Amino acid sequence: MEKILEVEGISKNYPLFQLKNISFCVQPGEVMGFVGRNGAGKTTTLKAVLNLVHPDNGRVEILGREFLGHEAQVKQQIGYAVGGISYYKRKKVKDIIAITKTFYDNWDDAECAHYMAAFKIDGSKKIMELSEGMKVKFYLTMALSHHAKLLILDEPTSGLDPVSRDEMTVIFRKLAEKGIAILFSTHITSDLEKCADSITYIKAGELVASMKKDDFIRRYEAEMGMRPTLEDIMVYIEREEVEL
Amino acid sequence: MMTKLLSKEMKLTASPLSYVFIAFAAMTMIPGYPILCGAFFVCLGIFYTYQQARECDDITYTVLLPVRKRDVVTAKFLFTVIIELISFAICVALTVIRMNAMSDAVPYVKNPMMNANVAYLGFVLLVFALYNIFFVGGFFKNAYKIGAPFIIFCIVSFFAISIGEALHHIPGLEYLNGTTGMDKVQIVILALGVVVFIAGTLLSHKISTHRFERIDF
Repeated sequence: MEKILEVEGISKNYPLFQLKNISFCVQPGEVMGFVGRNGAGKTTTLKAVLNLVHPDNGRVEILGREFLGHEAQVKQQIGYAVGGISYYKRKKVKDIIAITKTFYDNWDDAECAHYMAAFKIDGSKKIMELSEGMKVKFYLTMALSHHAKLLILDEPTSGLDPVSRDEMTVIFRKLAEKGIAILFSTHITSDLEKCADSITYIKAGELVASMKKDDFIRRYEAEMGMRPTLEDIMVYIEREEVEL
Repeated sequence: MMTKLLSKEMKLTASPLSYVFIAFAAMTMIPGYPILCGAFFVCLGIFYTYQQARECDDITYTVLLPVRKRDVVTAKFLFTVIIELISFAICVALTVIRMNAMSDAVPYVKNPMMNANVAYLGFVLLVFALYNIFFVGGFFKNAYKIGAPFIIFCIVSFFAISIGEALHHIPGLEYLNGTTGMDKVQIVILALGVVVFIAGTLLSHKISTHRFERIDF
C-alpha cells in the first residue's frame, strides 16, 4: 500500500540526548500512536519530521516527496497541532482562519464551516477563551479545511479531561475512516487502546518497536506471560529501580 | 506569497504599539530635546511586535504554513522596514516644515540640541539601520531571545544619538546644526545614512536568513 509518511534513520545528537536511527511509516487511514515517556524524544522526532529540528542523519518522505526540497508543497497537504499551546491567544478564531486560509491552495470554506459546526467552535471567541480541547479541535479544523492527508499531532490529548480525550479518540477514528493518516504522540496509553491501529514506541531516543498494535501486544504477551494492556507494556519496558 | 506573509505580520503578529509608536516621529518638532530619541521610540514600538511574536508562538505557527523559511525572515524584515520608512517619511515632512515655515521660530533658533535638518534625517536612518542590524539580526540567531539583542541596540543607538547631539557643539562643526539651507556636509551625512540603512538591512537580512534556516525550534 502507498505510504503517506516514511521516516528513515533519523538521528540527532544533543550534548545530553541522542535520537538514534528512528524509522517508521504511516499508511493512509492509519492512526499511529507515537509512544514513550516524557523526554523519550517524541517531540524531537515529530519536529525532525517537519524539519523544525534538523536531523544529523535520515530522511523523511511525505506523500511520495522528500520533505526537504519540497517543504512548501508538502505542507499544503499536512496539518500539525500541539496540545497545550495557544497561537495568537488574543486573536479571534475567525481572524486567524481568515489569514491562514490565504496560504492554502486547497482551502475549503464549506469544509471549514462543517468542522466549526461539528466541533461547536465559536468563531468570535478569542483563542484564550477556548478550552484545551477546543483549541485542539480548532487546530484540527484548520488542518482539515485544507484537506490535509496527514495530521501530525504532538500530545493532542494531554491536558484534556477524560470525556474530551474520549471524544478526541472518536474523532481520530472517524477521520481515519475518511482516509486521513494520523500520527500522534502521547504517553496516555488508554487513548491508544481506543483508537490506534499501530504503535511506534521509543525509549531514551531509541526505537523499541514500530508495528501493528495487536502485534505489539502479542510480542509482549509472550514475554510477560499475560495478556497485557498498553499501560502494562509501558510499565514493563520503562520500570526502573528507585533508590532513595 | 510575500504579500500573504506581510498581511499575516500586520494583522496577526503585529502589536498595536508598533503602529502607535510611529507617532514618536513627531518628536522631530520638539525644541530643546534630543529629537533622535523619536527614532529610538519607533524602534521600541517595533520591538513590541517581536515580543508579541514570541509570546504567541508566531514563529512556529508561521514556519508550519506552506511557505519557505527564508520568506518568514523576509516578511519580518519587510514589516520592520515599512514601519521605519513610514516614520522616516513623517520625519522628512516635519523637517521640511521646521526648515522652512518655522525656521524663524525663536525656540528653534535658540535650540541648544540637534535641529531637524538634513543631517538629522541621516542620523534617523542610522538609528533604524542599527536596529535592523543589532536587534532584528540578533533576534534571528535563535528566533526566541529578544532581551540581549535589544540591550545591544540600546547601547549602540545611545552612542549614535550622543554623537549626533555632540558633533555640532564641536568648534567648526556648528554648521551641522544649521537649518537655513542644504549644507553639503549635511547632505553627505544623509547619503551615508541611506547607504548604511540599505546595506546594513540587506546584510542583516542575509545573515538572518542563513541563521534561521539552521535553527532547531
